[in-house]
This record gives sequence, structure tokens and C-alpha cells, in this order.
Amino acid sequence: MDVLTDNLDDFAAGLWVTTRLVGAAFLVAVVLGTLVAALRVSESRPLRSVGGLYVETFRNVPLLVLLFITFPGLRRGGVDINAWTAGIIALGLYTSAYVAEVLRSGVAAVSQGQREAGLSLGFGQVAVLRRIVLPQAFRTVIGPLGSITIAMIKNSAIVGASIVALDDILKEARVVNSATFQTTEAFFWAAVCYLLLTLTATAAFRGLEARYAIRR
Amino acid sequence: MGYLFDPDNWEWVVTENNLGFLLEAFLINLQIAVIAMVLALAVGLVLALGAIARPAPVRLAAKAWVDVFRNIPLILLILYLALSQPQSVRDFWSDSAPGFLPDALRSEFILAGIGGLVLYNSAVLAEVFRAGILSLARGQREAAAALGLSYLQQMRHVVLPQGLRRMVPATVSQLITLNKDTTLVSIIAIQEVVRSGRVLAGTAGNPFTGSGVAAPILHVMIFVGLLFVIANYALSRLSRRLETRESRRIATVRTAPRVSEAPPA
Amino acid sequence: MRRKRPIVLLWLCVLALVLGACGGDDEEGGGGGGGGAAATPAAEVEQYPASTTMGKIQAKKQITIGVKYDVPPFGFKNPRSNAIEGFDIDFGKAVAAKLGVKPRFVEAISDNRIPFIMDGTVDLVLSTMTINPERAEEIGFTDPYFIAKGRILQKKGGGITGVEDLAGKKVCTVLGSTYEETLKEQAPDAELTLVDTYSECLESIQNGSVEAVSTDDVILTGMIIQDDSLELVKGEELTTEPYGGGFKKGDREFREFLNGVLDEYETSGAWAKAYQKWLGQYTGEKQEPPTETLSDALEAAA
Repeated sequence: MDVLTDNLDDFAAGLWVTTRLVGAAFLVAVVLGTLVAALRVSESRPLRSVGGLYVETFRNVPLLVLLFITFPGLRRGGVDINAWTAGIIALGLYTSAYVAEVLRSGVAAVSQGQREAGLSLGFGQVAVLRRIVLPQAFRTVIGPLGSITIAMIKNSAIVGASIVALDDILKEARVVNSATFQTTEAFFWAAVCYLLLTLTATAAFRGLEARYAIRR
Repeated sequence: MGYLFDPDNWEWVVTENNLGFLLEAFLINLQIAVIAMVLALAVGLVLALGAIARPAPVRLAAKAWVDVFRNIPLILLILYLALSQPQSVRDFWSDSAPGFLPDALRSEFILAGIGGLVLYNSAVLAEVFRAGILSLARGQREAAAALGLSYLQQMRHVVLPQGLRRMVPATVSQLITLNKDTTLVSIIAIQEVVRSGRVLAGTAGNPFTGSGVAAPILHVMIFVGLLFVIANYALSRLSRRLETRESRRIATVRTAPRVSEAPPA
Repeated sequence: MRRKRPIVLLWLCVLALVLGACGGDDEEGGGGGGGGAAATPAAEVEQYPASTTMGKIQAKKQITIGVKYDVPPFGFKNPRSNAIEGFDIDFGKAVAAKLGVKPRFVEAISDNRIPFIMDGTVDLVLSTMTINPERAEEIGFTDPYFIAKGRILQKKGGGITGVEDLAGKKVCTVLGSTYEETLKEQAPDAELTLVDTYSECLESIQNGSVEAVSTDDVILTGMIIQDDSLELVKGEELTTEPYGGGFKKGDREFREFLNGVLDEYETSGAWAKAYQKWLGQYTGEKQEPPTETLSDALEAAA
């Protein structure tokens, strides 16, 4: 318990870093994922292939490799990117592929009849997607998005452990460990911090699900 | 963009043994993935059976175990195991690791790496299995019970064969995740492909240590990323083919219930 | 100190590959320090009483020395020639030459070097071992034969002149090394970037995401050998790490013998030659052989 109380500042700072990292990367992932999902369900074959290529790439590449590309890789290429931006982009890109897949299946779950009804009412392709299909699709994907967010909270630890070296929960725990040699305690409290975040996310998404559940 | 596509920045791929150096290291990732997957499947199955067992203490313990380990970052588990691993375990492995293993698998930290991968993935897979088993209609088990099969016989002859087949897609997708996660052991100094990529990027351009042909870290890591994309894409195609075959088989069985030949494995 | 070892080792595994090859290139200019001493004519070799450690070594016709295989430029295995080379190795050759025997080098990593000495696996350990009171409880030490210093590395013309300039700058060091603590004390306003290996610090300073790296000058010199756009910040060092040779505790005759060899090594200019060969030619710095005695080093550490 001393390990926690003596280093409360460190753990709190790490918790805040992880929270901001996950929050920012989540926005990146949802924006990119929505765009890619739109490509994946578009009428145009080439656009669908581009979307497919995007998903297969970012879903199959290890996050650690992406982090090397977005931080030292881009810096060597003359891009003046900082650790935060690199970490957010890598985690966001990685997660966006999963978001895109979830949204695509959500869209697929909205029946073709709805789409046709929209079209026959004079809505354009884009308007049908934006006003009829996506709002319904979003509802069915709240649950899967919750699982993705929890995975993202766990994956965020890779950002701090990599060369990007943000001072997140895990990093702070390792600093505490190197000062106190209380390895088990330091890592235990780090695990508790991560559980705190994942449980909060679970509760939040359950709440959303209950609120927006489609009543049939 | 010029920097990315400049052929000079890709010349390292065909210089000396750079390509072989990376591919050999990638093989280590695949080996770690296979070892960890086999162990995680076995442990995961035991945990899943525990989570649906009738005695409440067993069930609750298994569920708690699964919930804890699948909600902790894998890299935290790996680092913890590596840092807390007693000297005696390290010595044991460095003394008694079979000589035919590649150097990377004889590393004193490999047990921590594989241990972390197994702890985490077995918990995730246990959840997949549990859901798969529970998705089977209750009647199947009741029918088996009515036929006088014991609990173990029900599991072995009725529940698992059907449940496991349904879990193929989720299991393969977890295998892809595990394959990606093998790169995390580079953080505990196991010489796999990410670490080898770093060595290559750090040394190739130096006339003393390499060929003098620079291997920019951006290009090396894009190459390493491609290796994973190709391997994992192949895996997911395989899984999709299994899936379609499975649904076809089920369709056949439905329409012609008396098909007598053995189903394709 | 204890925590630092595995991480330093990790880094050194990588660097061993890197620098081993550099050593090979130095070979033609080499033969310097140790080579000169090894050339001492056998006629001058003094025979020691058979009861002493020196006499026993002479009877075996070889001295077993535990060294590092992965700490260039002190002790490393050259992957091209398979030869063991470095500053420690040159001094070991000088000790062997004094006894007129062949040196046999075996790998002593941080974890096993003290047990190696206690169980007699090796006669002597020369492996960048910092003298400190805890170790002096277990084994005997020679006088310091090298003083490593905690220093700062920057890009040439980086404008850092001392530890006080680190305030507000990004400084890389390895998580869990003693420098994590040292920097927090001496440069509390620096922004620390803590990574797992020194090669990550090297990459970070090369791509500009950190402005300085701090650790043992020996390790920093290894980085300069790989990238000559880097330089050490001159001026006061952050810490002092006196390296001593280790042997069985209480073997006074052997200690006097070793200190004698060391004195001769230093006064004959062989030490300076070895320094120039392994460090000076890369850093452009000159250094005098250490004058501290064992008790000075122990007092400073206490």
C-alpha cells in the first residue's frame, strides 16, 4: 500500500497521460474509421478496394511497428513530429481499422429496404448513408465500439513502452519500481489503474447502449 | 514522399544478407506465436471448462482469473514477468534450454515473454470458448445426458466438437493478434524481427559495421510491417475458407441428413 | 546498481555486434598497449614461489581472466575474427606477460563474475567492475585501473556546456539505470525520456527527439564511434565509477603483484597507448592514468 500512497502523484500523472492518449486516439480512430467504412460500403469498386486495403493493412500490422514508423521513421524523413502526436496517430490508425470493420458490419445490418425507401423518397446516395443508414448503424455498434475502446486502453501501454516513451501508467510504474524495487506492488497498482479505466469505459458504453437501444 | 520512394533508401533490401537477417528474425516471431498459441489454446480450454463448471468455487475462480488477465495490458504482464523472474528460473533456462533451439528462444527472458503471451491469450480464448459452448442449444447437452453420457463424455463427444468448430473464426482472429503481439518481446531484449530491424537500421549505414548502405528506420519498419500484413492476411483468408466450408457442410447435413461419409476435417 | 545490469546488458548485446566490427578495423593500428607488453622477452620473467597464486599460475602456464564479451571498447568479442579485444583485454595481456604465461579469457557477465572469483573458475576478473564497499566484502580489488565518468552526449554544437544546461531539455537515459536517479538530482528541470536500451537513446538523439543522452562515458563513446556528429559535453562529470580488477579476497601477495603490474603499465606509457587506442582516438580527449588507490575509491563510494 505504501508503494501507492508514496507515489500517488506519479500514478495519477500516468493515469492522466494514458487517459488523454486514449481519448485523442479514439477521436482519430472514429473519424478515420467512419471515412474508411464509407469507402467500404460505397458503390464504386475502386473505392471499396481502397477501403479494404486500408483495413487489411492497419489491422494486420503490429502497433509497435507503426510506432517506429510514425516517430523515429517520420522524424528521419524530415517530419518534425513530437512524441504525443506520433503516439496518438499510431494508436488511432491501428484502431481505426477495427472501427471501420465494426461500422461496416453495422451498416450491413441495416436492411436494404431502408436504403431503397430512402432513395425512393428522393434522398441522394450520401444523404441516405448520412441520415438513414449511419444513425441506425451507430446504435448497433455501440457494444463492439466499447470492446474496441477497452482494447485501445490496453494497447496504449505499448506507446509508453516503445521508443515513443510517453510517461503513461506503465512507465510511471516502472519508474516507481526502479526507485523502490517493489516490483510486484508497482505493477499491481499499474494494473489497478488500467482496470479502473477499462471498467469506466465498460460502464460508459453499457450506459450508451441502454440509452440508445433500438426498441423493436 | 521523395524520401519514402527514393530507390537509394530501399537498396539495403538487396544488399548483403540484410533480407535474410530480417526473414530469419521473422521466423522467430512465428515460432513464438505457434508455441504461445498451442499453450494458450490448451490453458484457455481448461479455463473455459472451469468457467462453465457446476461447482461454484471453480466457476467463480476461473471467471475471475479470466476477467483479470484479459483486462490487463499484455506488455504490462510481459514486463512484470521479466522483471520479477527469479534468478533461479533464468539460470535454469539458460542451463537447460535444448541446444537445437535458436538463440532467441534460449534467451533468459523468453519464458517471461511466452508466459505473458499465454496468460493473456488463454484468458481471451477462454472467453471465446465459453461463449462458443454456451451458444450451443441447451437441448444438445440435455439430450446427451438423457442418453446416459457423463459430464466429461457430454463435453468430449457432443459439446466440444460442435462448439470448437464454431469458434474457428474468433480463434484465428486471436491468433492474428497474438502474432502481432510477439513483437512486444523485443522490449525484453529477445532478438525477433522488430529488434533485428532496429539493429539493421542502426548499423547498416556504418562502414565499420554494415555494408555502408543506409537502411532508414522508416523503410525497415515498413518492410517489417509488410511481413506481418502478408502473413496475417494469409491467415485470415484461410479462416474465411474454413468458415465457408463449414457453412456449406452444415447446409449439406441439413438437406441430406443421412450423409454417411465423415465430414471434412 | 543491481537493476541497471540487465538493461545495460541488453543494450550491449546490440552494441557488441556493432562495435565488434570496429575493433577489427583498428587491428592493423593496434598491437599497441597489450601487444607491446606481451612482447616482453621471456628471459625477464620472474619466477614466483610455488605457494603463491602467481606461482600456481606459472605452474599451469596460463592465467584465466574473466572479461566482458559485450562491452566495447572495454571487452568484446569481435564477430569477424572471434578475437576478444578491448581495454580490459590489453591490461589482462600485460598481466599474463609479466608472469610469462598465456592469457585465457572467459566470459564473465555481471551476474557471475563474483561467484567465478570465489569458486576459483577464474584467477582474475577485468570486466568494467566498479569498486564499491559491498563487493569489497566478497572479493579483493586492485587499485582502480580506469575511472569511468557519468557524462552528457549531445549533437556537435548543441550548446550544452554542463549539467545545468539540461534544464528544460529532453534528456534520454535508460529506465532503471543509476543515471535516472542522478539526473533527477542534478538536473531536476530536465525532461527525462526513459527508454529500455541505449540504442533507443542513440536513435532518439540522432533523429532529434531528444537533445542529450547521459550515462557512463564509455557507453557514450561507443555511440560517438557509430556517429561522429555527436560529442561529449566537456566539463565536470556527473558521477565517478572506478573500475578495479577482482580476485579472491585476502590474497595479499596477488594484490601487490597486480598493483605492481598496474603501476608499471601506467608509468611505461602502455596505459596511455591503450587509452588512445580504445577511447582517445574517438573522443579526442586525453586522460591520465588513475592515481587513486583502492582505499580512496572505497572511501569515495561510502
